[in-house]
Amino acid sequence: MSSPTLSPAPAAPGAPLTKKALTADHPTWCPGCGDFAVLAAFYRVLERLQYPQESIVTMAGIGCSSRFPYFVNTHGGHFIHGRSLPFSAAVSLGRDDLHVFVFGGDGDGFSIGGNHLVHTARKNVRLTYVIMDNSVYGLTKKQTSPTSPIGFKSKTDPTGAIDQPINPMRTLVNSGATFVARSHATQVNHMIEMMEKAARHDGFSVVEILSECVEFYEGAFDAGNPRKGGKFELVENHDPKDLEAAFRLANEAWPGRFGIFYDSPRPTKNALEKGLIAKARERTKGASDLELLQASFRKAR
Amino acid sequence: MRGLVIGIAGASSDGITAAGESLINAFAQEGYFATLSTNPGTQIRGGDVFCRVRVSTDPVLNSGGLLDLAVVLDWENFSQLSGELSVGPETVVVYDRRSGLTASALPLGGVRPAAAVAVPVAEIAIHAGAPTQARESVVLGLLSAWLRLPQKRVLEALVSRHKAGGDPSPKTYQKAFADAVAYAKEHPLGRAIALDPAAPPEGKRRVADGNEMCARAALFSGCKFFSGYPITPASEIMQYLQREIWKYGGSCLQAEDEIAAAAAVIGASYAGTKAMTATSGPGFSLQTEVLGLASAVELPMVCVNVQRGGPSTGMPTTQEQADLFAATFSSHGDTVRPVLAPTSVADSFDVTVEAFNIAEQYQTPVVVLTDRELAQCKAVLEPIEPSQFRVVDRLEPTKAELKRYARFQITDAGISPISHPGMRGGNYLAAGLEHDEKGAPTASGEIHAQMTRKRLNKLNPLKLRKDLFLFEGDLDAHIGLVSWGNVSGIAREAVRMARAKGVKVKLLVPRLLYPVAETIYEDFFATLRRCVVVEQSHQGQLHRLLRMWTQTPREFMSVSKSGANRITPEEIVRLIQAMEQPATDRFRSHYCDLLNVI
Ligand SMILES: Cc1ncc(C[n+]2csc(CCOP(=O)(O)OP(=O)(O)O)c2C)c(N)n1
Ligand code: SF4
Ligand SMILES: [Mg+2]
Repeated sequence: MSSPTLSPAPAAPGAPLTKKALTADHPTWCPGCGDFAVLAAFYRVLERLQYPQESIVTMAGIGCSSRFPYFVNTHGGHFIHGRSLPFSAAVSLGRDDLHVFVFGGDGDGFSIGGNHLVHTARKNVRLTYVIMDNSVYGLTKKQTSPTSPIGFKSKTDPTGAIDQPINPMRTLVNSGATFVARSHATQVNHMIEMMEKAARHDGFSVVEILSECVEFYEGAFDAGNPRKGGKFELVENHDPKDLEAAFRLANEAWPGRFGIFYDSPRPTKNALEKGLIAKARERTKGASDLELLQASFRKAR
Repeated sequence: MRGLVIGIAGASSDGITAAGESLINAFAQEGYFATLSTNPGTQIRGGDVFCRVRVSTDPVLNSGGLLDLAVVLDWENFSQLSGELSVGPETVVVYDRRSGLTASALPLGGVRPAAAVAVPVAEIAIHAGAPTQARESVVLGLLSAWLRLPQKRVLEALVSRHKAGGDPSPKTYQKAFADAVAYAKEHPLGRAIALDPAAPPEGKRRVADGNEMCARAALFSGCKFFSGYPITPASEIMQYLQREIWKYGGSCLQAEDEIAAAAAVIGASYAGTKAMTATSGPGFSLQTEVLGLASAVELPMVCVNVQRGGPSTGMPTTQEQADLFAATFSSHGDTVRPVLAPTSVADSFDVTVEAFNIAEQYQTPVVVLTDRELAQCKAVLEPIEPSQFRVVDRLEPTKAELKRYARFQITDAGISPISHPGMRGGNYLAAGLEHDEKGAPTASGEIHAQMTRKRLNKLNPLKLRKDLFLFEGDLDAHIGLVSWGNVSGIAREAVRMARAKGVKVKLLVPRLLYPVAETIYEDFFATLRRCVVVEQSHQGQLHRLLRMWTQTPREFMSVSKSGANRITPEEIVRLIQAMEQPATDRFRSHYCDLLNVI
């Protein structure tokens, strides 16, 4: 990955949101990196969704994949490694007007940020999380990641990884996320479909995308790529509300299937909090902050 | 000022806190000032095992030293707590006759109290029909008769608490209370613990603790988002806000850990909301990466660290002032974040409001360093006058500025308008990666230097804020003290006591600890030949910070005790008297345990 250059494109007010308006810095990924395709697909998704540009927030943690927000001309941030979910959750909560997208890598999401993933998911915060899984630490130049398979040779496992990797889909289905999908960076239309559905989902939606690191883990996902002799098999005849069936899909042998594993809405934390506020305000009859504060002193003895 | 200091020690089922709360509420209603400190001891189950109430007709500056009256229901806990509940030659000890001890055999470590009086506490309670629940009522009956407190008030407080606790039959403890009153009248304690009558208060006074005042200050400042993770002794801030903040249209997020809490707070701030987190040492250690990010992206956030004994898990329920270095320095990189410390329960409100204002004005994280003693000590407070406080909001870009928006624009004051999601044209990347004025990443040394300067220099006006310092004593004194946080209340009282004895001395109390306001200290030091920093940490952390940043007087000492060891006003008076003596070796060395000096 090289260092980025700057080319922010100001948005024309009122005009439809196009790739041109959404393009910011020129991506700094290595030529051939799977992440380019994810970015291209994301532009297409935003073109389809036509959200007001100022209502879109693109966040990320740290990693090659987490450079993503620099390349999208929206509000956003480049946070610290693994912690972008709690940051983004707080951006989303209380802001019905915003559309929050979070991007990150397998290390960012499943290792250092693993616990945040589980808790943001179970709380069903309204946002869309896209994991660009390359089964390696790219930015730090080839160390073992939590999704690297046993035997993978990296700078931290020179004789091959010995630890059992996590199964991302099982982790995601188990997390409490209300929308879980899987895609492959060589399948642009499929990615667009998955990300668009995720964005339209009212709740915590997550898309795991196998996105090859050509620099440090070439060929990692060939088994899911027909052009490299693999098979891209879609999820079929599957009830996305069936949790057990979702686990069965997640447990299928590598490279498994692609599509929506789980989609079962329940009230979002955003909506539940809104309810709490409305109820509390009803009881206080819309008193001003100062009146409320003074009343709290009167109650104290 | 001295008033009375009353300590009550018992078993965890004895309703010690309840008794203390009834007393402080009755004192408040009668027009007295008072503080109440409680401590659960080391066990997890059950209630507190001791409380200390200090009452006076003047505002109470600290919870006092030696006890005037010690009420002992359980000697085992009392002996463990001798550091907190110390008995001296002027203390009157009242104890439950049930222990069977004679006055001369009390386990007081060789101290001979002024009087030791055995009272049939358990007997009165058993006679009333409910031994364990009624013991606190007996103590309250005795105290209200001996202190001539209006019995109605004390009983009212007792009744309302029992009601709140769902206790249907008030008869037993009312009877215990009445019997105890009758007993006390027949067995007066004499002049030893008499209380001067209080003048009726002007406004209605309230009882609150530091954590509550901190939470209220957040709401007053317009804080609409809180996130935290439970930890002693800070949890009450989250618990208070979890109950209250929704009424204000805000929300409270119990996070999975303190890192997530801090991350959420900075996320909310990025989205345009005033936000706060509160924690104690272990959680604060986790939050430092996010605090550094907040400095880099120049977003306001308030982080309250209620200090407890450390390092590591340390002593969760005890007092210490040892997180100053952590608050000041624990972040990588070339950065400064403001650190404030309240000096009293009431000041916890003022300082938290100030923390929000500084955070908003200078677009920076601000750490509020309170401590376990202030946080969990209840005090009788004057009513808050909101018009005395200003509330600052962050600078936002104008429409014109949004046309050519540069989030990190270099300005004279170093402050550039913050836009938020939803603002058209205001999009920028809040990035921890070094950035130029527009927020684009950079590896340029020149831009890095420029941005570092911006982030540091914008805080300079803070160093001129005299209103963030308290001063007390003789302007031209040759000897002086510096003290901070809860300990400053002890130093203030000591300075008053020493001056009443004719000693010329002065005291400076910083509420702004960092950045160090060099000129304010140097003005204070100008007349001084000898200066001592009194604080509660082995290393004397403020002392070291001042040596790093200011031109200190020639004889500049740290006199301190480790946490959990009570510093008393009397000890500091003796210290001040020692400071008046010609130079000795003691004052030539830089560091000293308080007890070695006096
Ligand atoms: C707290 C912290 N620890 C370590 C790092 C160094 N670091 C940066 S990116 C990264 C791993 C990135 O891997 P992944 O999330 O899979 O992203 P990728 O580069 O593969 O897209 C690490 C370890 C850091 N930035 N912060
Ligand atoms: S993920 Fe791999 S291929 Fe992609 S930019 Fe990083 S190092 Fe290069
Ligand atoms: Mg990776």
